[in-house]
Amino acid sequence: MQNTETILGAIDPEVAERLVTRREAIRQGASVSSTVAAGLAMASVPVALAALSKDAFAQTTTTVQDVLNFALMLEIFENEFYKAVLGTSSSTAQNTAFTTVRALVPAAARTSLGQIQKHEAQHVAFLLSAGAVNVLNLTADSFDFTGGRGAAPGPFLAATTDVAFLLLTAQAAEDTGVRAYKGQAPNLVSNTAVLENALRIHSVEARHAAKIRRMRRLLAGAPSTVRFSGTVSGGDASAAGATGTPPQAAVAALGLVYGAGTDAANFPNEANTTQGGIAIGNLPNLPTGFSTNSATEAFDEPLSRNDVRTIVQPFFKVTIP
Amino acid sequence: MSDRKTFVVEHPAQLWRTETRREFLRLLGVGGSIVMLPAVLASCGDDDDDGMRPPPNTGVTLNLSTETGILNYAYALEQLEAAFYTQVVASSVFGTLTAELQEVFTDLRNHEVAHREFLKAALTPANAIASLSVNQSTFTTALANRDSILKTSEQFEDLGVAAYNGAGKYLTGTNLMLAGKIVSVEARHAAAIRDIRDALGITGGAGVNTRFAGDDVVDSNGRDVVLEPANVRGRVASANVLSTTLTIGTNPPTRAGSGAEFGPPNPTP
Repeated sequence: MQNTETILGAIDPEVAERLVTRREAIRQGASVSSTVAAGLAMASVPVALAALSKDAFAQTTTTVQDVLNFALMLEIFENEFYKAVLGTSSSTAQNTAFTTVRALVPAAARTSLGQIQKHEAQHVAFLLSAGAVNVLNLTADSFDFTGGRGAAPGPFLAATTDVAFLLLTAQAAEDTGVRAYKGQAPNLVSNTAVLENALRIHSVEARHAAKIRRMRRLLAGAPSTVRFSGTVSGGDASAAGATGTPPQAAVAALGLVYGAGTDAANFPNEANTTQGGIAIGNLPNLPTGFSTNSATEAFDEPLSRNDVRTIVQPFFKVTIP
Repeated sequence: MSDRKTFVVEHPAQLWRTETRREFLRLLGVGGSIVMLPAVLASCGDDDDDGMRPPPNTGVTLNLSTETGILNYAYALEQLEAAFYTQVVASSVFGTLTAELQEVFTDLRNHEVAHREFLKAALTPANAIASLSVNQSTFTTALANRDSILKTSEQFEDLGVAAYNGAGKYLTGTNLMLAGKIVSVEARHAAAIRDIRDALGITGGAGVNTRFAGDDVVDSNGRDVVLEPANVRGRVASANVLSTTLTIGTNPPTRAGSGAEFGPPNPTP
């Protein structure tokens, strides 16, 4: 539990390993800074090492860069979704798609959705200012919010006509965001300033998700598994607390939002009740009435980038690499 | 600092306080006198242990230079939250609350007790700090009615979010992930409590229907509150919610943060 590794101790083996793998890569024609190439060509280990230390730093920056780009992609998606719902999208087609449901959203809820959209727009601007790149050149028209990739109306089509389904979709988007940021936190330890910014955005997404749960419960007839405390109760599709009979494909999609990632050991189902090897339900001093659901609610679970990509891909017309 | 030249010890427990020792030393320096009232001397009898041994658990020191220390810092905050919601659910006010509020406070109690017990178990008895004692008179005042309960809850939840957001950079690997699993739950709680107060007409720095993530806790870059441990400790101390004195012994290691600290409104509206 204690972190006793020195900085040099952590970096040195990494640099040494990279020296070997990079040399192989260079043989295969990978680009490398001229200083490194010169150092390797001269078989001068000190020169190559010194230069690769810099390259190693650049490599770390690239990993952080990947996270920033990934976060920007998700934030653009969320921002454009809410803009379409509110009728403020730069795309007439997106605004038109949500005309019916927009008229049904109560004014108070519209104000709350406006506050959420404001934050998503701020996240986009902030990530761009932090160096994130819109790799896919996403615009308002890059998305199909029915989840059909622009080919045919997808399983979330009802979000354009039914307030309850719209809020269910928004909740799934926010909870996906929470799981996505959480999953990337360990990839940001090399840059604690970025890590802290990411954590601060992460908790705002959680506030959004909680508010949407409360709106669903208060306005849209959601069941008591959609907690007034805003927390995620249980896992898999049932954790979404959908009302009515959503299309099978929507249920499957919600199953991914609240289920386990491909690497279930590191990215567990939201129904997970064991944390750090400790079974929450077996802890001492738990109050009377503490249930399995209580244990699932008390901890949120991360997802990997690949898991998140699988969830959001149907809403993107372009293929996410 | 007082310039009195006489210090009166009225009760034996005072002898254990830092302030008393400081005053003794100061008076030695200025040629002052120390008066002990009869109660102090009476307690010197061998059949009376009141005052002649340290009271239990008057202080807990956090050493934040290690990840264990940071987890203990989280454990301290979770102890505070768990103690409060346990008392809320047991209070006479609880039965008068709406079904919605009863559900929320029962959830919050369950989650915070789980966080407390989980952190305690994860830290292991060898490394966990002692159990903290709450200042019951402050708690009793906070538990007086629905509105004061909600206000105190908002204070605790927003402070918890700020604390975890500030502490993340001192953690790595599994510890960072576990803290991340908890902080989003604290943020959900904070949003729920703020939303409930919003509906009751309390705006305080945020527009109506936006308090769940109001402009008072989310900055113009869309970022939530963040506070360093020293600032969080200071707020806990000024809220006077602990009888145990919480001290920071060693500071966290130097790590780049996201910029200036951004705390929730203090005092809570």
